[in-house]
Amino acid sequence: MTTTPGPQVAATAVASGAVVIPKRRRIDIWRKYKEEKLFAFGCTMVAIMLVLALCEILHVELGLPTRITPYDPNFATGNVSVPPPPLADWPGLLVDTIFNGAKPPHWFGTDNSGLDVFSRTIAAPRTDMTIALVAALTSMLIGTFVGLICGFYRNVATEVVMRISDLLQSFPVFITAMVLVALSGRQVWNIVLALAIVYAPIFVRLTRAEVMSQSVRGYVEAARAVGNPEWKVAFRHVLPNSLIPSLIQVSSTIGFAILLTSGLSFVGAGVRPPTPEWGLMISLGAPQIILGEWWQSIFPGVAISLTVFSFAAVGHGLEEDYG
Amino acid sequence: MLLRFVTRRLAVAIIQLIGISLFVFFMIRILPADPVARLVGLNATKEAYDLAAHNLGLDQPWGQQLLNYLGIYSNRPGDGVLQGDLGDSWVTSAPILEELLRFLPITLEFITYALLIAFLIAVPMAMAAATKPGKTADRVTFVWGLFAGAQPEFWWGLMFVFFFFFQFHEWGFPSAPAPLGRLNPMVSEPHTVTGFILIDSLIAGNFRAFLDGAHHLMLPVFTLVFVVSGAIIKMLRQNMIRVLQSDYILYARSAGLPPRQVGFYAMRAAMAPAMTLVGIFYGFLLGGAVPIELIYSLGGIGEYSIRSILAFDYPAIQGTVLIIAMVSLLIYLVIDILHAAIDPRVTF
Repeated sequence: MTTTPGPQVAATAVASGAVVIPKRRRIDIWRKYKEEKLFAFGCTMVAIMLVLALCEILHVELGLPTRITPYDPNFATGNVSVPPPPLADWPGLLVDTIFNGAKPPHWFGTDNSGLDVFSRTIAAPRTDMTIALVAALTSMLIGTFVGLICGFYRNVATEVVMRISDLLQSFPVFITAMVLVALSGRQVWNIVLALAIVYAPIFVRLTRAEVMSQSVRGYVEAARAVGNPEWKVAFRHVLPNSLIPSLIQVSSTIGFAILLTSGLSFVGAGVRPPTPEWGLMISLGAPQIILGEWWQSIFPGVAISLTVFSFAAVGHGLEEDYG
Repeated sequence: MLLRFVTRRLAVAIIQLIGISLFVFFMIRILPADPVARLVGLNATKEAYDLAAHNLGLDQPWGQQLLNYLGIYSNRPGDGVLQGDLGDSWVTSAPILEELLRFLPITLEFITYALLIAFLIAVPMAMAAATKPGKTADRVTFVWGLFAGAQPEFWWGLMFVFFFFFQFHEWGFPSAPAPLGRLNPMVSEPHTVTGFILIDSLIAGNFRAFLDGAHHLMLPVFTLVFVVSGAIIKMLRQNMIRVLQSDYILYARSAGLPPRQVGFYAMRAAMAPAMTLVGIFYGFLLGGAVPIELIYSLGGIGEYSIRSILAFDYPAIQGTVLIIAMVSLLIYLVIDILHAAIDPRVTF
């Protein structure tokens, strides 16, 4: 009668030096933050945007006094199309507002219905960041799960799932997103769902490829040999080792999701006015721009540009070290 | 060899197109939109609503609707997709294929110029970056690649309009044209042959239309080049660095070839994957250039798609997706053939 090699055998193999266990890769974000300017910039901007989003969410959902916008982002002030004060006046105005209790000026001007552009620009992360974060994480969740199953169990059913995923990936992204959002009603959660569907195939592909290369490694065989059930091998052993490509991808996916969200609002297939959302603000300011009222569109655009660039920088930094 | 490759790819493409059509067909019907209410209005009587639904064929089960769309066992007048008829638009009542063939070249034209220019800019920049890693050119292209890939193209479009149209006008410089279409209304439009305005005006010998068309295309093309070039440069640079470390470049160097020629060999190998990227951009921009088309009022297939989507015009949506998918699959095929022509390591 033969016995299957148990944990003892494995332990002896390790102790005798016959099997080399690779060193655990430490993910030292803090060191990277201190050493790399680009990565540090990205992390800082992302953190700022998260804080802005959180302040606004806590205020709107729970009524906490965390609103930091000088004016209500959804309420028109009486002043229509006010240009921003010249930069030279900013220090004086800042002192007046903070120390003398003067009414805060419209730092970024107001739009043609009297909404304060500055307040809306810093209130918009609530919409943009929430949509992008939730959508990217959902698509990663769906994608890794499907990718794990399809990479681990190779049969006709998972092959069909892969073909469907490929098909989804060959769709024109922007049009698919427009159709999904416009036809299901332009609500925030429909946008989240649409983006999650559009981005999931990338994660399916990434995870599946990694799972397939991990499945043939020794530790998987070892996990099977000591008597783990198949599902446990897949979820406890293969999955944690296959997550890194998806975790790197998720950062740039959040950035793309912000671009897509604002692009959808810009063409009129995204959130409804007057929701503070960067793309929508740009689109509302667009007709004014040929009249020379540049301030309505320029600031939200800078915000998008900085935020997406920051996510790309973070993603690039992670990819460099752990990709 | 080539023929076999092309036929096999075309066969796969047809299967993909069938899959895409079925997917779109059911997707738009599963989503909770009511195109009939959109057409007859919310105050319509029950009879008017039912009549409209009947006229659109929406009162029938999905299976029959699909058969009608395909054109087999159809119980409605008119042909289906299998006979080459995409149906009529519910909004304009015009045949969709005709409309698409009018709008598609507009988008194709400005995307093609943009990708061509972006590629031509990217090649020397990537070459400069890769041959001297760590130097200024390398750092600039690296940051540019990261930056440009993360930009909202519609916002840059607006900024360019503000700067080159409004501000230049204010300053009294020769400015860009107003973002209102492809031609100045005072210029007579050349007879449509290819749908590409620059080519058509040359064929017609209408030099004034050519200049005006180029003038109007300037900003949209510039906007796209601005956004797209970053990713292409980034990819070319990475490929170049990898290729320059390969054995055959080492061999070419040790054989004493001049650096210029070595660089040319490396570029040839590095270009092939970047061309695949250009192909992917093509497919993406066909449907993804909607915001830029809207800003400059070009009236291409992107504008058509957003119009039909917001009007719940089902046949038009199906037709647009099908045509865009078809064109992008064709472009991928052409790029793969070019790929094999450039890179001797690739065979069919």
